[in-house]
Amino acid sequence: MNARKTSGIAALGALGLLSLGAASAKDASAKDASTPGTSPAPATHQVPRSAEGNVVIALCDGETTLEVKGVKDPARIDKKQAQAISDQLMAEWLRKNPQANWDPVPPRVALAQPQPPTPPPAANADVKKQGESAASDAAGVAKQKGGEQAGHTYGAFSARDEALWKASAEQMVKEGHRVFHDSKELGSTVAISCDMCHPDAANTHPETYPKYQVQLGRVALLRDMVNWCIENPVRGKPLAEDDPRMKAMEAYILAQRKGVKLEYGKH
Amino acid sequence: MKALTCVAVLALGGSALAQSAPPQKPFPLGVSPVLYELSVPPERRPTAARIALGEKLFNDKRLSADDSVSCATCHDPKRAFTDGLPQSEGVKKQRGKRNSPTVLNALFNATQFWDGRAGSLEEQALLPIINPIEMGMPDVEAVVAKVKGLPEYPPEFQKVFGREPTAEDLATAIAAFERTQFSGNARFDRFLAGDSKALNASEKRGWALFNGKARCNSCHAGNAVSPLFSDQKFHNIGIAAHQHDFSKLAAEALRVVRTGDAKQIDELALQTNLSEMGRFLVTKNENDIGSFKTPTLRNVGVTGPYMHDGSLATLWDVIDHYNKGGIPNPFLDGGMQRLGLTEPEIDDLVAFLFALTSEDLAALEKKELASQRARKNKRPERDTAVALGKKGNLGDIGVSPDLSISNPADRGFYGPVGPSSEK
Repeated sequence: MNARKTSGIAALGALGLLSLGAASAKDASAKDASTPGTSPAPATHQVPRSAEGNVVIALCDGETTLEVKGVKDPARIDKKQAQAISDQLMAEWLRKNPQANWDPVPPRVALAQPQPPTPPPAANADVKKQGESAASDAAGVAKQKGGEQAGHTYGAFSARDEALWKASAEQMVKEGHRVFHDSKELGSTVAISCDMCHPDAANTHPETYPKYQVQLGRVALLRDMVNWCIENPVRGKPLAEDDPRMKAMEAYILAQRKGVKLEYGKH
Repeated sequence: MKALTCVAVLALGGSALAQSAPPQKPFPLGVSPVLYELSVPPERRPTAARIALGEKLFNDKRLSADDSVSCATCHDPKRAFTDGLPQSEGVKKQRGKRNSPTVLNALFNATQFWDGRAGSLEEQALLPIINPIEMGMPDVEAVVAKVKGLPEYPPEFQKVFGREPTAEDLATAIAAFERTQFSGNARFDRFLAGDSKALNASEKRGWALFNGKARCNSCHAGNAVSPLFSDQKFHNIGIAAHQHDFSKLAAEALRVVRTGDAKQIDELALQTNLSEMGRFLVTKNENDIGSFKTPTLRNVGVTGPYMHDGSLATLWDVIDHYNKGGIPNPFLDGGMQRLGLTEPEIDDLVAFLFALTSEDLAALEKKELASQRARKNKRPERDTAVALGKKGNLGDIGVSPDLSISNPADRGFYGPVGPSSEK
């Protein structure tokens, strides 16, 4: 089996333009590929040049391409046109891979965490039932009788703390949402952003990492796959693993899938 | 643009919070709308009339027993709302036990005072007025009677609150003024908003150290949602340990403190050695002995001297104190350990801390930096042998950050600031 073919089949569990999925375990060839010592080098997708100098966009399956008629400068592609290109390529991929475990768009789970209690006004900051906390004033401390959290410097936290933690986490998720949808922020040279193939972070399957990722020919973490997508369909420069944008995107992708049952090998 | 930012951030962060109109003016960089929502209940939103009355009261020396001290005496707006003294001076030149904290950003504090004995600015505002060595009024009733006797106030209270002066309205007005004193707009904020030249190389190294080897962010935690650089908790870092026997003091304190009444704590905190008990006076929990609130680091360069008793004169002294792991005592916070910071690293940290100064305090910053730098070689707290581990046993140290790579991740995830949050 040549490397190129492996790469094509590997797209199976996942995706069109932006593959965040890995090889399906049901796919024998992918299993072969994951056997130590037999890993083929990941294929490089050689994108053909357009005779007329048009922009050519590559699908992440390593073989499908689309020539954008009449467009010579990729910087001129706007978001709408990029989405249309993405849709067209995705449709092509789904036609070629009818058996793929491509999930429908998940219901929008806006943000990650269950609602913490509504914080009290700072005035009577925290006369909480579970005992005095770092946000208790003298009156609050006097009122309470014992309590499991009493006296802990780090363990005692208040409704205010919880509200700040929640808002901070949500801000990170929201920032990830922004980067995920912003081709410029991703450094795309072809106006492609993550959401075009992964609306609402669909089919990113963050809960399945680490896993062998055929496009990379090695075990990957989510961030490795994000960078692969940034380099390939998005056509940008990979982000540093601890770049704040990368962290934010991971936060967003993970938050979108929070609580999803892990099914090894499905994606 | 800024107004839009506020709305956007509120929409996401404030969903669980009080549903109320955002404050009128857009906040400067470095001030969090989410934290504002969280800290200022809708009924406490300052109105123009309350702010004006509050500012007048804040500056009025006649609120004190002998007309010599106003709130502004120790919280001087021209000095970033501090007095620059180690311990504040009240009526008849009496000196308290604690350093006057800045009013800037105090509206965001979870609790007020170094030991958190007051839960709101309103509650806080009245206590110094009736403290015998601060403004020296005998009690709240006397303050109200005095204000009623001043010709201009009754009509103004009538106009603003629709009734004669009361203690509650007095506190409300002063607190309303204090709630306008938010402060951001530091070089650091511009740096995070994308202006990479806003910080110089030393300040950038200081930021990396702050989050790494120097472990500052363990307690002085900050992000875009909560940009105070304070966890608002209470820690014993050993400041008073070399002067007092904590165990003995604690036994005495337990005997004296019975009710936990804020006024009683107020007097103990300012007049006696029990002041050193800190948060313990409030909670009576043994592990709060000698612990004080983590103060905000915003404007820290211009709000010295430092620590609850103003015992450290410069930020170099402060870093020296932490570098050797604080002063050992039975109640020392578990997070305190030697840091092993080198002299250049200490300089970088101090440079970074000065970069947290609001731009409208630039002139004061220049002056304070010069005066602190002049004392840079007088370092009473420095104990290099302990800091570097040649003496004592205060734990291993962190690794100096790799400063040869300019990785944006040195900044961790602080959160979107400025233009990027407006997209």
